[in-house]
Amino acid sequence: MRLLFAVVTLALSVAAAAQSVSLQLDGNIFKAVGASAGRLTVYAGNGDVPPLAGTTAVEKGAVVFRPVFPLAAGVRYRVVFAPVNGAAIEKTFDGPARQSTPVARVERIYPSADVLPSNQLRLYIYFSAPMSRGEAEQRIHILDDAGRVLRSVFLPGQELWDPSNRRLTMTLDPGRIKRDLASNRAMGPPIADGKRYTLLVDREWHDANGVPMIESFRKAFRGGPAVRQPPDPKTWKLAPPLAGSRAPLVVDFGRAMNYTLLQRMLKVTGPNGDVAGSIDVDRNEAQWRLTPREPWPGGGYRLVVDTSLEDLAGNKIGQPFDIDVFDRVTERITTATTAIPFEIRAAR
Amino acid sequence: MDYRKLTVVALAAAILVVAAIRRPLPVTADGDLATTNAGLKSAGVLTFGPDGVLFVGDSMGGAVAALDTGDRSAASGASVEVKGIDEKIAGLVGIAPADLLINDVAVNPISKNVYVSAARGRGPDATPLVVRVESSGKLTLLQLDAIKHETVSLSDAPASTAGGRNPRTQTITDMAFVNGNLMVAGMSNEEWSSALRSIPYPFKTASKGTQLQIWHSSHGQYETQAPVRTFVPYTIDNTQYVLAAYTCTPLVKIPVSDLKAGARVKGVTIADLGAGNQPLDMVPYMKDGHQFILIANSSFGVVKMHADNMGQYKAIDSPTVVPDKAGAPYDKISSVTNVRHLTQFDASHAVVLTSAGGGGFGPPTGPFNIQTIALP
Repeated sequence: MRLLFAVVTLALSVAAAAQSVSLQLDGNIFKAVGASAGRLTVYAGNGDVPPLAGTTAVEKGAVVFRPVFPLAAGVRYRVVFAPVNGAAIEKTFDGPARQSTPVARVERIYPSADVLPSNQLRLYIYFSAPMSRGEAEQRIHILDDAGRVLRSVFLPGQELWDPSNRRLTMTLDPGRIKRDLASNRAMGPPIADGKRYTLLVDREWHDANGVPMIESFRKAFRGGPAVRQPPDPKTWKLAPPLAGSRAPLVVDFGRAMNYTLLQRMLKVTGPNGDVAGSIDVDRNEAQWRLTPREPWPGGGYRLVVDTSLEDLAGNKIGQPFDIDVFDRVTERITTATTAIPFEIRAAR
Repeated sequence: MDYRKLTVVALAAAILVVAAIRRPLPVTADGDLATTNAGLKSAGVLTFGPDGVLFVGDSMGGAVAALDTGDRSAASGASVEVKGIDEKIAGLVGIAPADLLINDVAVNPISKNVYVSAARGRGPDATPLVVRVESSGKLTLLQLDAIKHETVSLSDAPASTAGGRNPRTQTITDMAFVNGNLMVAGMSNEEWSSALRSIPYPFKTASKGTQLQIWHSSHGQYETQAPVRTFVPYTIDNTQYVLAAYTCTPLVKIPVSDLKAGARVKGVTIADLGAGNQPLDMVPYMKDGHQFILIANSSFGVVKMHADNMGQYKAIDSPTVVPDKAGAPYDKISSVTNVRHLTQFDASHAVVLTSAGGGGFGPPTGPFNIQTIALP
């Protein structure tokens, strides 16, 4: 009889202990307040998932659990506390609310022209806010003139982002561009000379916070003739400013060039070494301008060109994208840079 | 030999075997590897080196880290099957499964444990993850902020003159450990280049290894710089090659002896797997005395290539060949579908990561499963 009484008392006290434990979320820390022992486990989401990664400790009258990672938006956390004796208790907490205000849109796309060569190699898409990875194939389309989505246009499975997830490089399928490959023979180039297309970026694309974009983006363009000849700096037109001015040096290429490479593959050296200044790219990437920080001193200058600079079709200086090895006419340039000399003279 | 002597000899042999297996990790010129933050900005392509060293391609950080997993207990025979691996990893790190991106899968050849690289989040601040999956299904997060490691930087690109963060990245498309060198294939997000790098391991301070250009010729007439999408080491007639799949789809063989610093190497086409398709992963294997290569593709599913006479297949250099069936013959394998990653498990099994849907003309969608399959 006394033994039974003792057991009942113990059971009651354990139940009371379990009831007096309060499960709380304090910032990023889960707590079983009122407990000095027991197992505190947290599960993120539903279903058969392992416990959330983190560490437990006993601190100031509470068993605490610190997750390895911060709590995530849109996730429900189930906290289970198993006391040393007695039944486990549990409670759920919501992570921070997901953001819902759209902030992202397509800001610009390069090439910017309305006519693209049929061997166009890459597109660079600039967003106003960081975007989510892994959605590009689903959200970027090229439509034909009847509004039908074209298949197998882009290189699959290759999302090439800048570190801020605001610029995406899309490569048109090089197997369709390179002459005489199986894809090229079976399907032709992704863009056909003379045909009309629309590039469509879906509004449903999520930004880095999981929020869709403000609006879809459309750009109409037409296929033009393939560009097979490599760019030749000897044909470029330079318009040197007057000495003492801060007017820009203007370089016209006579064709559109790769916008991203124009930011770093041209430089000007002069009497005082490399000229510091700001770069502008204009006329659908056919013109490059360097506005110097300091007025131009008169003297001899050189425009130094990295021979890896490409046009829209991936033709480099002195080296076409797909070299016709039987074509002996093309001048081959094997040096890393080439230079165009010019003079900056004083006004008369 | 009496019983005691036999015991002593057996013990000595056992110690030698254990010592051989537990050979310490190679050390750098600076001494033992330190247990510090691996400094990964992303965790992409995975491949194993010697002694449980896991190479992790960090495209966003422009580097490769060699992590000492400490996972050197030999195992064999077990299989792995984890359904909803994306949901389980998401649960482990406390996010919704949709916010997890699985990047690659590799098998430790010693322990047979599976390693998965992933990103916790899809934005620019996503946290890199490497998770060990044991045959029991147990998941363990590698502590990337406190792990023995070596790192080699690949970045040599000039910074943009526009200021701020350099927008140029070099995405690592594949890696393989060949003859003591880590080979790294990559693709720039700005210029069209075809750099393949060979880095001696252990990594030496300031050595980024040698770099060469890979080219491809179609029918002997048009040559193009050809970025490599995936590649595997392979021996043909006692010569070491790499079999490489280009982004423009042809499968080529390149003798490793050609891969010298600054070289301009042209791969010999041995198969063209067809239009609008990308090979994702390759596993060479031997079965019933014949050589095969299992290839997972982006839109053509899994194919089994007959590779007995790889040295003899005439290079595809004539415009008269039938595009889809040229070169080495292959069979389509329909028993496994939606394969996103494929890697060798043991001599007769592979591990696949499959998705419930997507692929081909859209991104793969979860849930994802990991399982061992018998090589067909």
